[in-house]
Amino acid sequence: MPLAAWVILAAALFSIGLYGVTSRRGAIGILLSVELMANAVNLLFISFGRYRGDHLGQVFTLFAVALTVAEVVIGLALVILLHRVRRSDVRVDEVKELHG
Amino acid sequence: MTLSELSPLSLPLLVLGAALIVLLADIALPKNGGRHLGLFMAAAFAAIFGASFFLDSSGRVFDGVWVGGDFTLFFDRVFLLAGTLACLGSLDHVARHMPGRQGEYYLLLAASVLGMMLLPGARDLILLVVCFELMGMPLYLLAGWAKTDDTRGRGKNAAEAALKFYLVGAVSSVFLLLGLALVVGMSGTTSIEALGHMRHSALFDLGLLTLFGGMGFKIGVVPFHMWVPDTYEGAPTPFVAFLSVAPKAAGFAALTVVFLAGFHVPSGSFMPLMLLLAATTMIVGNLFALRQESAKRLLAYSGITQVGYMLLAFATGTRLGTAMLLFYLLGYTVTNIGAFMVIEATASGDQGEDRVSDFDGLYARSPALALAMLLFLLSLAGIPFVVGFWAKLYVFIAAWEAGHGVLVFLGAVLAVVALFYYMRIARAMYMNEPKDTSPIKTPFGVKLAIAICLAGVVGMGAYPAPFLEQAMLASRSLFG
Repeated sequence: MPLAAWVILAAALFSIGLYGVTSRRGAIGILLSVELMANAVNLLFISFGRYRGDHLGQVFTLFAVALTVAEVVIGLALVILLHRVRRSDVRVDEVKELHG
Repeated sequence: MTLSELSPLSLPLLVLGAALIVLLADIALPKNGGRHLGLFMAAAFAAIFGASFFLDSSGRVFDGVWVGGDFTLFFDRVFLLAGTLACLGSLDHVARHMPGRQGEYYLLLAASVLGMMLLPGARDLILLVVCFELMGMPLYLLAGWAKTDDTRGRGKNAAEAALKFYLVGAVSSVFLLLGLALVVGMSGTTSIEALGHMRHSALFDLGLLTLFGGMGFKIGVVPFHMWVPDTYEGAPTPFVAFLSVAPKAAGFAALTVVFLAGFHVPSGSFMPLMLLLAATTMIVGNLFALRQESAKRLLAYSGITQVGYMLLAFATGTRLGTAMLLFYLLGYTVTNIGAFMVIEATASGDQGEDRVSDFDGLYARSPALALAMLLFLLSLAGIPFVVGFWAKLYVFIAAWEAGHGVLVFLGAVLAVVALFYYMRIARAMYMNEPKDTSPIKTPFGVKLAIAICLAGVVGMGAYPAPFLEQAMLASRSLFG
């Protein structure tokens, strides 16, 4: 597959994730969408690296994966916290004590 | 690699050491020993701040992946100062509201400061993104710290504030990574210094734009500012004092390193866009600040306006403009932390509900606090002769010399508009009758933090020259 195909695939995945972030109402769904976007970026890193024939993309991806995992752990912790103080499903459209 | 080669990193390493001591002591100490950890962390930050005047922290580490110099030194001092003030201000709040989790609070604060201190020296995109996340992740947790519900359901608000902050932050991190993927993919290098010589292509420029967007979230540039007021309202006030200045300074440090020292961008096509963002940020922040009833939200929107002025200094892209940006950040740090500490003392927790009306008659209740708040507000508004005046004036001079006269005019007009909402708090303090005439009991730590900020605001207002000189030195060391 040529580089352009991989870039288009990554862009499509990223866009699906972005759509999910903006349209999903459940906090878990949003977290999953963020994860999808992050993995689209990783795919982009690796396909650029492969195209150039160096390891830079893969090295960067390893760092990106570690960072994303740490971030998602914090996100899940916050969702559990909000669940505990509200005692219900965490739906972000109902989270509006603070008037944005 | 010998240990002495690490000497430029001595300041961040000392912070790391202090953080590890807090981590271990938190495990070893009995449950009620947490208050000492806060005192220790404040003392450690202050001591490392003092040490920064004696240790030589210039030099290249790890083959130029991290470069220390006057630029990193300037920012290190700003972050250490913010860390000291945040620890002092948090002592009482944390001991009262979350006595069992004090160690973790200061540990996370130290971790965030560590990330910030490493950021201005990063000359490799991988290190840059790791530092950026090290700075950001503890902030999400600290924003949700008040998780136990009190009578007014503050825990609920804190959790909501943290989740909103987190979601925006996580999406912005992904955008940051996307920008880096495009930039690194098109250029084949992660060295920021090497990127300056790259040929620009469409995807490369798209990457730069995305990178700017990802960093813009953290500093709260319009249109990425939505999280700011909600997070400020829900999070613990002493932490908000820290959140409102330190990550902004770090974000601007990263922007300066990547876009001015690395890509030399403002000479190219990004300049009009950044100027447009600066203008929008100033206007939007001002308009929303006019109608706020909550003092914390008012200062949140005022902070967005201040980011507009900083962005104006940044967008000049000149050495002078960068020096003025650094001076502005320093002045803003002491002013804004001071203002939030007064809110912590008068309008937070048991004292009130963060409303502007909680300031009613503060002059009658506690004249010293009222005077301090008045000086902080004057500094935020840019009235002579406190530090905020010089900061705004110097930014205007730099922008004028770079040929942005229209924006200087806009900034000056908006500064007058801003005076209106800052003086709403001042009027409440001096003109309105207090609902409750008892004097305010300010905890010692908060008092000390306010005193240090006040000394900074008045001192830098009277003698800006030495601080300006440091900012010039820092800017020169970055541009070479």
